[in-house]
Amino acid sequence: MALIQNTKCECGHQNPPGTVLCEACGKPLDEELAASDSVLEMRYDGMARRSQKSRPNPIDRVWNFFSSVKVAVWLIITTLVAASLGTIFPQESAFVNLTDPAGYYRETYGTAGAIYYALGLSRTYESWWFITLLVMIGASLVICSLDRVLPLYRALTRQQVRKHLQFITRQQVVYVGPIEGDPGAWTVKFAEILRRRRFKVRTDGTALLAEKNRFSRWGPYVLHIGLIVFLLAVLSRGIPGWYMDEYVGLDDGELEQIPQTKYFVKSLGFSIELYSDEEMPEHLKGELRPKQFITKAVLYECVAWCDDVTRQPELREVASHDIRVNSPLSYRGLRLYQYDFAESPRLISVRPVLVDKRTGESYGPFELPMRHPPLTYSAGPFTLELRDSFPEFGLDENGEPVTLSREPNAPAFVFVIKGPGLPEEGVPYLYFPREADRQRFGQDRINGEAAELFEIRVQSMEDVEFSTYTSYLNVRVDRGMPYVWTGAAICMIGLLMGIYWNHRRIWLRIDDGVLSLGAHTNKNTFGLRAEVAAALAKAGIVVEAKSLDNRRKET
Amino acid sequence: MIDWLQISSNAVIVAFLLYCLSFIAYAVAVAGSRFSNREPETHRKKWGNVGLWLAALGWTAHLVYFFARWAGAGHPPVSNLYEFLMALSVAVMLAFFVIRFAYRHPLLGAFALPLTIIMVAYASVFPSEVQPLVPALSSIWLRLHVTLAVLGEAFFAVGFTAALILILRFTDFSRTDKAGRRARFWAEFTLVVIVIVVGFLVAVFGFRAAGYQAEFRQETVTVDQRGNVIEQENRVVYGLPPIFKPYNSETVSMDPFLGMTEPLFETPSWMNGVNAGRKWNTVVWSVIVGLLLYGLLRLLVRKPLGKAIHPYLEGIDPDDLDEISYRAIAIGFPIFTLGALIFAMIWAQIAWSRFWGWDPKEVWALITWLYYSAYLHLRLSRGWQGIRSAWLAAIGFLVVMFTLIGVNLLIAGLHSYAGVS
Repeated sequence: MALIQNTKCECGHQNPPGTVLCEACGKPLDEELAASDSVLEMRYDGMARRSQKSRPNPIDRVWNFFSSVKVAVWLIITTLVAASLGTIFPQESAFVNLTDPAGYYRETYGTAGAIYYALGLSRTYESWWFITLLVMIGASLVICSLDRVLPLYRALTRQQVRKHLQFITRQQVVYVGPIEGDPGAWTVKFAEILRRRRFKVRTDGTALLAEKNRFSRWGPYVLHIGLIVFLLAVLSRGIPGWYMDEYVGLDDGELEQIPQTKYFVKSLGFSIELYSDEEMPEHLKGELRPKQFITKAVLYECVAWCDDVTRQPELREVASHDIRVNSPLSYRGLRLYQYDFAESPRLISVRPVLVDKRTGESYGPFELPMRHPPLTYSAGPFTLELRDSFPEFGLDENGEPVTLSREPNAPAFVFVIKGPGLPEEGVPYLYFPREADRQRFGQDRINGEAAELFEIRVQSMEDVEFSTYTSYLNVRVDRGMPYVWTGAAICMIGLLMGIYWNHRRIWLRIDDGVLSLGAHTNKNTFGLRAEVAAALAKAGIVVEAKSLDNRRKET
Repeated sequence: MIDWLQISSNAVIVAFLLYCLSFIAYAVAVAGSRFSNREPETHRKKWGNVGLWLAALGWTAHLVYFFARWAGAGHPPVSNLYEFLMALSVAVMLAFFVIRFAYRHPLLGAFALPLTIIMVAYASVFPSEVQPLVPALSSIWLRLHVTLAVLGEAFFAVGFTAALILILRFTDFSRTDKAGRRARFWAEFTLVVIVIVVGFLVAVFGFRAAGYQAEFRQETVTVDQRGNVIEQENRVVYGLPPIFKPYNSETVSMDPFLGMTEPLFETPSWMNGVNAGRKWNTVVWSVIVGLLLYGLLRLLVRKPLGKAIHPYLEGIDPDDLDEISYRAIAIGFPIFTLGALIFAMIWAQIAWSRFWGWDPKEVWALITWLYYSAYLHLRLSRGWQGIRSAWLAAIGFLVVMFTLIGVNLLIAGLHSYAGVS
């Protein structure tokens, strides 16, 4: 390959190395290309690109790699194949809590599953190689676009009207034929016809350049900018505080702090709306089909004592919403979604009385909430001090009482009862609000003598408040979302610009009574052919649209 | 009270019959152009127009189906696999009309109509009962998402039909060198695949009409995290005679078929669950019936099907087909992007709190999008045109169909509620 290339065109224009078609007149510079009569490759109007430097340095080499469309297509294909591998078996992220993923994949899918897990395909989309592919696509988007949009912009803003004859007759759509009358007048007349077809027309004596929808050429670049914005917005989740994904389970009436925030959420009740019989088709009438899941929720902001365990936090209501599927509660970038529910009958609070077995008298009732119970209660002359509470009572291997979870599935309370006729230090008493637990764990047996003295019991169902369901809310913060949507919107604009409009250009010159017309479009030759044929017909030259196609003449 | 659902299901039958008539008219348009006593151009135009009118009438009936079902069910019918495939076939016809009128190509219908007919028949394989929507589906975004995604895919389908004509038109059936043999093989292979799809429909509807049924029971024992042993009994009903029964299952009942009273084989153990057995059995039947059909056709025409069709396509300009195929895909691409990706993301954001969750269906929608963007890059920047571009369009349609149906049948995910019984 010759290192020094003569890039000066016969029209006198000095072109940068790598130029295919003269920037000024459009004549093919390469001698071999000039000698043939094939249809010209009009990409970027034959301009030199940065990636076509003759002596690349290391940075140029990286640039050249990413600026290649061939590389871009390979990146797309590789990503496509990689993404499809991730769908063979479910991803680990599809499970809410998977404690032993290796075991799960081996047991469920056999050897294939074990291999799948070992290769890391169970976490395809979080893997370093998949993310690397996406980053490489991002690099390719930026570099491909920059490498092409600048020369294309220069070419399109500095167009010369009079082009080399070869340039015109080697376009996709070509007409060559004699015209009658004055060439200057014909050009003016034809310019008017094209203007009516909404072309922008410039003339230079008997040469003419008509152009329309140039903006459509920027479509692909706008699309690529949109994709970059989109990819950056997705990456923005890595910024501390920009992304949060937490779950909160709420029984009816329960108040919970949202992890990592100063917000608290309270459920005023979860309900399931069912389809009525009128709404159901004939064959399903009488069945229960859920129509909507609703959690009436109130959001509070903590204004004082938030992290102080010894004091109740001070809360201020900031928002309330009936959270439904497809209708989250939204407050300042914080969103609460109806995620799931579980049918788990649980006590919220009971109002028991204290019965003094010696006298048969009962005192109370007093309010005993299952969550966050107060430390002292008074019932008539007696006071009850809460010594210990077990939301889910159980016994460990040494027979010591422990709580199995923080959910009130089998609540138990240890009180110390003090009052008249009792020892100074009081009488310890273990209380199970649920009858079933009382039987199972043997409340009276554990209490021993105290069981002879007292009984704590609920008098009627009116004194029991319980929740049927636990509603699970998904709490999200994703500050990148506005940028995600902006990116998507830019993509769509770029796509529409680039695909539903086409850039059309028509050049012509008249030499010795012979009209040479060439036309080019970046897409939809069919439409361009028809347009040129219609314009020529207006000017009195009737030709069949198909016969204008230069590519056909070759074959 | 008007029984909208009854009107709707009658309209489907009318639409199906009209589409079949339209296809016959188009077939006459293509085949008859070689009758000696006619002017090919006028013949094609005349019968092409008859086909077009019948297709338009059929489409009207198809729209009646859509809106009557909407009225009857109270929500737009785009929420289970039956409704989805019906919507897709309505959209394919719309895309066909758009492309037909943009390019005034008389013979495109000869290939677009059979595609629609197969789709309508395929939709009818799935249970067509109206189902009340589960809460996540009650969203305007679902409707926008499905409607636009389906329309984009419909343009890809029309691009595929043009590409298929181009492949058959381009393949030189007289060549005997290596490249020529390979081209012939793949063209014929594509037709075999289509015949197998038809074979599937023939098998399913044949045995359904005969009322065939066999039932199997499979017991599975699993141990959960807390060490409890869970015994589960699953039952499955086969609509096709069981060549393969589910792995480790007992026959509950079985109608005899051609003296066969016991299942011949058992599905291998790695095919999980009773439904895997049923699906595998259906695949085997489709291939058998498809190959029988293919053999029958070969006996009738006494040469490869591609070679038999090829002469009728000689009058069609391949460059026009190339342009039609590419333009259909280009028109579909932004619609697909908006419907299958952007609206889907908006909906996912509202319904499931994340705009993207790498659910298999989402991933496959992305794969489809990446595939067609590679197609557009290859075509626009690297000049892939003609036969190469046509093969890309054909494979692309395969990717679309896998995304639409294959994912539901083979991979479970969030979209699995989209209704495979």
